[in-house]
Amino acid sequence: MTTASKFGVGDKWRTQVSFWCWMIPALAILLPMFVAPLARLARNSFNQDDPVGMMRPTWVLDNYVTALTDPFYSAVFGNTLMVAGGVAAFCVLTAYPFAYFLVGFAGRSRKILLWCVYMPLFVSVIMRVFGWMVFIADTGIVNRLLIGTGLVDSPLHLMYEVPGMLLGIVHRYLPLAILPMINAMSKIDPLVLRASGNLGESGVGTFARVVIPLSLPGALAGFQLVLAGVLSDFVIPILMGSTKFRMLAPVVYEEALTNASWALSAALAMVMLAIVAVILVGTNLLVRYLSPWVRA
Amino acid sequence: MRMYAAAVCLFLLAPLIITVVLSFTAGDTLAFPPKAFSGRWFAEALRNTSFTAGFRVSLLIAAGVALISAVAGTATAVALNHYRVTYSGPVRAFVMLPLALPGIVLGLGILFVLRDYGMAPGLWATMLGHSVIGIPYVTYMVLASFSNYDMALEQASLNLGESRAGTFFRITLPLIAPGIVGGAAVAFIMSFDNFSLSLFITKSDTLPLRLMQHVQGYLDPAVAAVATMLVALSLVVAFALSRLARGGAQLRIGA
Repeated sequence: MTTASKFGVGDKWRTQVSFWCWMIPALAILLPMFVAPLARLARNSFNQDDPVGMMRPTWVLDNYVTALTDPFYSAVFGNTLMVAGGVAAFCVLTAYPFAYFLVGFAGRSRKILLWCVYMPLFVSVIMRVFGWMVFIADTGIVNRLLIGTGLVDSPLHLMYEVPGMLLGIVHRYLPLAILPMINAMSKIDPLVLRASGNLGESGVGTFARVVIPLSLPGALAGFQLVLAGVLSDFVIPILMGSTKFRMLAPVVYEEALTNASWALSAALAMVMLAIVAVILVGTNLLVRYLSPWVRA
Repeated sequence: MRMYAAAVCLFLLAPLIITVVLSFTAGDTLAFPPKAFSGRWFAEALRNTSFTAGFRVSLLIAAGVALISAVAGTATAVALNHYRVTYSGPVRAFVMLPLALPGIVLGLGILFVLRDYGMAPGLWATMLGHSVIGIPYVTYMVLASFSNYDMALEQASLNLGESRAGTFFRITLPLIAPGIVGGAAVAFIMSFDNFSLSLFITKSDTLPLRLMQHVQGYLDPAVAAVATMLVALSLVVAFALSRLARGGAQLRIGA
């Protein structure tokens, strides 16, 4: 990029006016449908929920107190964070060898592998859930195989239980972990890897001491995406999960639309927002600390 | 190593393959592998008015979202790219922010705000709501297009006497068209498959929501049939778009 504004570099006032004129379409949508809703959410979270279902406009902290101290909600937050963190870590660890293979070795099969990663993203979540249902239902493929070969006596309850839900969640978010990592790894100069080998480092050593540090930004980006995604996932806990292990998104939905606890649900949503913000900012800072050569 | 990659691929594709195969079953249940094959579930799905109505609604909303996002996102990208102001960075971060937000937080917020605007949940609310997420995608892709863009072409056009509007429509737009189309396509797909926002601001009449209700109620291969048809449709559209993109690339080489 050589020139800045096409209408003259020193034309500060005119540049700003033109900038904001071009921003009008986006602002016309984002201000009423993005900024205002968040503001309203914040405002509502301080209201009082009436037992009848209405909200009384006041300024109380009750909702936040409930959200953060009530054992039911603490359990929900704990469940969700545990699952999100665990799934994110698992996805990143699983994605590492896969991305390394794709970038480093596979030439012809590279396109096929990429296609395998993109395809699930293309397809509706329902289709994936449906496929898993067939797989892990009590009368599904997995159970029939296990019972048929005599490995278990009664069907493993996977569907509508936590293991099934975890399976669905991992399946949904694994591509999101793989893609940034492929991106980061493809930026590693192969000459660097060869130099490492020339200097006497083994294959495994090169992977540990050269590849991992250089691809860390990609790994953290993937971790970030999966963590934030799982935290706010609604469909899979609802369709594949258990009512004994509640996740955050269905709980917020229920509080809002079933219980009509508008203020409480607003507070829960704000807490969820705060958690996601902390995670995003935290991982960004981590990337900057661990890999200072990455341009922000 | 190769086995590992193959295993991961299998894991990623297994449910999709199962669903597609099951959509051709002749039986009533989800028994796999199917003992007989037929197309009856496709006919069944097409006869189901809640599915066909849902498809129409989702299509309409997604088309609107693609259009709105394309216009707003492109304008934003132009603003960010052509006019370097000191606050370009924060503005860009602000525009990308909706992508980082949990969908249901936004959905709940919009639901609250709709009443203030005198709007009811429905088509328009959903179109505008989904566009909030579509705009960042389009902006991102058009900005990416701009990174391969030579500003000198615009200046040349202006020097040759073309008006600013003319330059925009005859030079800028054709060159960034791949980014706009790509971004609009992503916005379309995202809107069509959206759950978190739609839960709050539609009348529960989009296709994903209808499918979800169906799966929760009955467990029959009709859902598989719908899913297979959708995949087939999106593959056809993706193929058509890639053909178009190739045409656009030839335009660039010629210029």
